[in-house]
Amino acid sequence: MKRFGDLTAHVVTFCRALRVRGLTIGPREAADALRALASIDVSDRRLCYLSLRTVLVTRHEDFPTFDAVFAEYWNPPAPEPARLQDAGADELPGDGEGERPKPSVMDWLDQALQAEGETPVAAYSPDEALTRKDFSAFTASELDEMSRLVVAIARRVATRLSRRTRAVQRSHHLDLRRTIRHSLRRGGEVLDLAYRRRKIQKTRVVLLADVSGSMDLYSRFLIQFIFALQHALGQIETFVFSTSLTRVTDAMSEADLRQALDEVAQRVPDWSGGTKIGHSVRSFLHLYGRSLLGSRTVAIIISDGWDTGEIDVLRDAMDELRRRVGRIIWLNPLLGGTGYEPICQGMRAALPYVDVFASAHNLDSLRQLEKHLAARAR
Amino acid sequence: MHTGINDIQQLLEGEGYVADRSLSTALYLAIQLRKPLLIEGAAGVGKTEVAKVMARALEADLIRLQCYEGLDATTSLYEWNYQRQLLHIRLQESTDLPLEVKEREIFSEPFLLKRPLLQAITHPKAPVLLIDEVDRADEEWEAFLLEVLSDWQVTIPEIGTIAARHVPYVVLTSNRTRELGDALRRRCLYLWIDFPTYEKELAIVSRKVPGINSELAKQIAAFMQMVRRAKLEKIPGIAETLDWSAALIALHRDHLDRDAVEQTLGVLFKHREDADLLRTQWLDHVLQGLQTVENTNGPWSQDTIDRAADQVLPKVTGSRRP
Repeated sequence: MKRFGDLTAHVVTFCRALRVRGLTIGPREAADALRALASIDVSDRRLCYLSLRTVLVTRHEDFPTFDAVFAEYWNPPAPEPARLQDAGADELPGDGEGERPKPSVMDWLDQALQAEGETPVAAYSPDEALTRKDFSAFTASELDEMSRLVVAIARRVATRLSRRTRAVQRSHHLDLRRTIRHSLRRGGEVLDLAYRRRKIQKTRVVLLADVSGSMDLYSRFLIQFIFALQHALGQIETFVFSTSLTRVTDAMSEADLRQALDEVAQRVPDWSGGTKIGHSVRSFLHLYGRSLLGSRTVAIIISDGWDTGEIDVLRDAMDELRRRVGRIIWLNPLLGGTGYEPICQGMRAALPYVDVFASAHNLDSLRQLEKHLAARAR
Repeated sequence: MHTGINDIQQLLEGEGYVADRSLSTALYLAIQLRKPLLIEGAAGVGKTEVAKVMARALEADLIRLQCYEGLDATTSLYEWNYQRQLLHIRLQESTDLPLEVKEREIFSEPFLLKRPLLQAITHPKAPVLLIDEVDRADEEWEAFLLEVLSDWQVTIPEIGTIAARHVPYVVLTSNRTRELGDALRRRCLYLWIDFPTYEKELAIVSRKVPGINSELAKQIAAFMQMVRRAKLEKIPGIAETLDWSAALIALHRDHLDRDAVEQTLGVLFKHREDADLLRTQWLDHVLQGLQTVENTNGPWSQDTIDRAADQVLPKVTGSRRP
């Protein structure tokens, strides 16, 4: 190790390099790294590597990143900044410039509205299209109905879904400590029993909506759905994706739908492009996972599951998501079609990790979803 | 200075634990920096064993806290001994002591039931505290644990603050059924234990299974390397390897053949589907793989086994998650 001379500075820059690549490393970790190196023989490269990894890495998934940075940093033959930058850009959603010009969402909405009724609806039979209106043909009263439903669904989702609820149903936990305290006043006679009750837990909702080309028909409804959901629920984080992921929580919190849409159009680089679900979920996990996920988080993914990316990436991303949230709800507008089977590869790969797989293509399906959520307290 | 690591390696070996360098380094740093050590890896790779061996090596007591869903402060830290309190109140009934005195009496240390965390803190000599399968506990408890691990003191309203006499050596294990919070992770040093290599597993089998001949030990270790390539519900760990070896010995088998394996599959696989998958789709290939390794000249190694496995084993698509 030639760089021994100024070890402190090098360790600090090394830590910074790791942080740039997404590892959570703060001053405390850097200090620990120095302490660790101070207690070992730093001329042993393997030992340095193991020690730094033990101190600086906190999850197995980060080992490859650490290895790469370690190799680049502590043994730099010919650094490859170009490759590095590529990899970096690959991870960052939303900054790869799309080749086609950004379509204005509003324009696209207008077009879709004019084309209303003429567009064949891919996934369901003509009969069904007659009896159950597509979202594109909403009247004002139906829109009201939808808002009401969305709020109801949002409430369902927002109530804690796991064992906390069951604990409350069992309802009474004896608080022996207080019981005995009270009994002291009566010479040890237990007359009043004191109870504890579990706090009601708030659920956080993360919404990942597919706005790629294959979802075109439903996207307009989706925007309304997301908008309503976000306004009904305080704690919701919204992301849209097609080939990359964009956070639109702030944009969607505009009071007015029209303004919100303009705002979103500004931010989403590839509206109606292709779909890379796995890639998008992965970058979501990578960038926002730490702050947003937990067993009390419900992840709602709205997508038809047509993934043009690699299936393995999707499977691994779903697997990780599964482990990091309390529940995954997948809303698939195609599911409403009679005889629809989730045969497309992406959907099939993702399905084992999904807790609730439901359709979301018209009001009826939303109503069913509400019931579904009510029945399923896991 | 770094002799420390070699010492630890020797201590571990002396305790019958086959340790690689990443493990001894991690243990050394945990002791040196006095930071908790978080160990992750698949079930059955010997995570819990690390804490036990560490305790023996340090000649410290081992205090174990097994986590489960619903674990809370009263079961992990302390609880009042209510029966004893009630009894005491009864006995004091006739005395004229004022209420405050009575109250102070029954909420004092003799009436305290110390649970593992408080035990570890108040222990006369720094113990090894094993917090096993921490991923099974709730997030609330994880936050609570984090507090204890940061301050090493506990406040009991009736008594006051109890500070640790010695900071315990802490080992946490997780099977990753739930992702642990970042705050807890960052509080800890990290060690990932993978399934063992052929060489390591051979050493473990040779050491831990009395009376095994070296041929059978080699075959078993190689067999395990190949079997772990299959897509199984539960990939067998070292614990299973050892049980299986013992079973084979008990049946007086001195080499692996179809018959011996089929007879003992239940020891190796805890899911019926896994046993079926192995018997119907893998066993022939694996036995053929063993034969291939047998036929190659030179010593058996991870390399020769991997090469044979690449040749004869069914290809598995998708990534396996340990």
